[in-house]
Amino acid sequence: MKNYILLALLVLLTSCSTTSESVENSIPNEFSEWLIPINQILDGGPGKDGIPSIDNPQFTEAASVSFLADDDLVVGIIKGNETKAYPHVVLDWHEVVNDEIDGSFFTLNYCPLTGTAFAWESKTNNTRTTFGVSGLLYNANLILYDRNTDSNWSQLQLKCVNGELINDKPKLYNVVETNWKTWKALYPDSQVLNAQTGFSRNYGTSPYGDYATNNNRFIFRPEITNPALPNKERVYAIIDETKSKVYQFSDFTNGKIIKDSFEGKNYLIAGNNDIIYGFGLNNDQANLTFEYDFNDSESFFKDNEGNKWSIFGTAIEGPRTGESLESVKSVMSYWFAVAVFYPNPEIFSTQ
Amino acid sequence: MLIKKSISIVFIICASTMYAQTCCSGGIPLSNNIGMSVEEKGTFQLSLNYDYNNLNTLNNGTEKLNDDSRLRITNSILFNISYAVTNRLSVEGLFTWVNQRRVISQFGNENLDQTSGIGDGLLLLKYNFKNGLGKNSNIELGLGAKIPFGSSTETNNQGITLNADLQPGSNAWDVVYFLSASKQANFRPSLTFSGRIIYRSTGTNNSYFENSSYKFGNEIQTFLGVSDQFSILKTLATPSISLKYRDAKQDEIDGFNLDNTGGNWLFIIPDFSINIKPNLVFSTRAELPLYSNVDGTQLTPTYRITTGFLFKIKPKSKLLNLR
Repeated sequence: MKNYILLALLVLLTSCSTTSESVENSIPNEFSEWLIPINQILDGGPGKDGIPSIDNPQFTEAASVSFLADDDLVVGIIKGNETKAYPHVVLDWHEVVNDEIDGSFFTLNYCPLTGTAFAWESKTNNTRTTFGVSGLLYNANLILYDRNTDSNWSQLQLKCVNGELINDKPKLYNVVETNWKTWKALYPDSQVLNAQTGFSRNYGTSPYGDYATNNNRFIFRPEITNPALPNKERVYAIIDETKSKVYQFSDFTNGKIIKDSFEGKNYLIAGNNDIIYGFGLNNDQANLTFEYDFNDSESFFKDNEGNKWSIFGTAIEGPRTGESLESVKSVMSYWFAVAVFYPNPEIFSTQ
Repeated sequence: MLIKKSISIVFIICASTMYAQTCCSGGIPLSNNIGMSVEEKGTFQLSLNYDYNNLNTLNNGTEKLNDDSRLRITNSILFNISYAVTNRLSVEGLFTWVNQRRVISQFGNENLDQTSGIGDGLLLLKYNFKNGLGKNSNIELGLGAKIPFGSSTETNNQGITLNADLQPGSNAWDVVYFLSASKQANFRPSLTFSGRIIYRSTGTNNSYFENSSYKFGNEIQTFLGVSDQFSILKTLATPSISLKYRDAKQDEIDGFNLDNTGGNWLFIIPDFSINIKPNLVFSTRAELPLYSNVDGTQLTPTYRITTGFLFKIKPKSKLLNLR
């Protein structure tokens, strides 16, 4: 009898121990070459798609938004007649939104650990794709993967760093980052990504506690830190190949327009206490004199010809209406992230 | 022969779920599986258990979120050995082999990361105050150390180092404090009430991801239980039921609390064991959460099953020669 009891218990044990056998890897990326040091790529913890992208974003009219406070940060984009804003309080939990604007598919991606957001075309190998969160980090920064080829893309390096598309660069769309109060003043008709994401999350509470403001705290320590500025100071960085120049909010107190040069190119940087954005200037535009002109409407600065320009660098009034200043590769970022991806960045100074 | 066969079968069954890689320390049920009784001097106790821990419940605080896309499974083989140095003093060792899996089922895909290998171990010295709570009672005090046998630098199949949660070892020594008490009922000696408190003061891994430090949160576990013995089909059976309270502080990275770690839980643990032979006990138990209050948003235990054998080798009785 005891033998039968033992046998029965062993059968029970067998059934318990085989539960996890049905799981298999999906779409394995078989490319072992990485453009970044593999010992500096870290597993973030949640796993691939453990932080789920939003693939079916839902929006609310800006006028009807009640879930944002004035100082909540949003990432804004404009194309054609459409403007959209993506609040950090939602992005913190998803990091990637696969979306469409004015007929173009794009991926808005945001890394809460480096404070960086980009939007780029959702296309690889000339085919529409979507991106997801790989669960991997490089110098605390998001690595995305594309679902066409399973290639891995370093967000702040703006490059595919592993997989079939290695060395490919994404086609960027312009985005600005600012607080909700500023954005709704600029674009009151904007669509705003809401919390109807299809996922159950505690939106409104950061999953990273005081990380965004605690300069001493890292969850994933970058290879180098640069003490020139506080680690988590939000700076605006212009990126030129492997170099960068950064601008601080303190440079734009109460609104300023700065003409500057970097690596032999002319730039115009517009900003105030809540937003900074920059543009390249061609020879013709370099001769214009610009002036801050933000009065809670779309116009952010004006020039001596009587043109009024939006924060995205488009002339919205005046003789140059419709003309755009040249887009530049740039990002709002925590200082430490710019300093590790683009070592020894130049810091703008009026001195 | 039967014993050898049984142990072999359990080993084969458990091993068949494992592949070539490794697993985590956070999920190894070390505190759950220490506390063999202090027996007569010279007694060896050996136990071999298989532990299956399933975490598929996503909580925000006490609120269960509607999301079962994340699954964490820890398969552990736990080998305990205890030796009674005297009638009151015993030394116990716990050695582990673990397989930890992280499965994300999202967007029609399943992504698996897993590690497996030797996990951390534990050494515990215990002293028994017999009848410390009156007739037919025991109080045991213990002090031990968790020993970082396991690897804490395992990588995935791309060579990327996995985070602390998925590592088989912690690369940190912990101090373990143990207190247990039991008392048999006077009106029914087979009825036993027992309690156990285990506190783990965790050490720090100072080479986490090469340039950081990681400390799992200090943890206390409290058990309260009652058991009885019955004869079923001429076999001695011991059912029991326990409540377990676990409180874990937040983990720390570089001295800063890590969000979405730590919490407190209450579990109910039904247990059933039978004496297959006078010196061989088979037991199986489940651990089911009654209350989960996690810090932030995190996976929380869904259920756990532990089953295995306990084998006692008593010292040979000394024969008296009265001539």
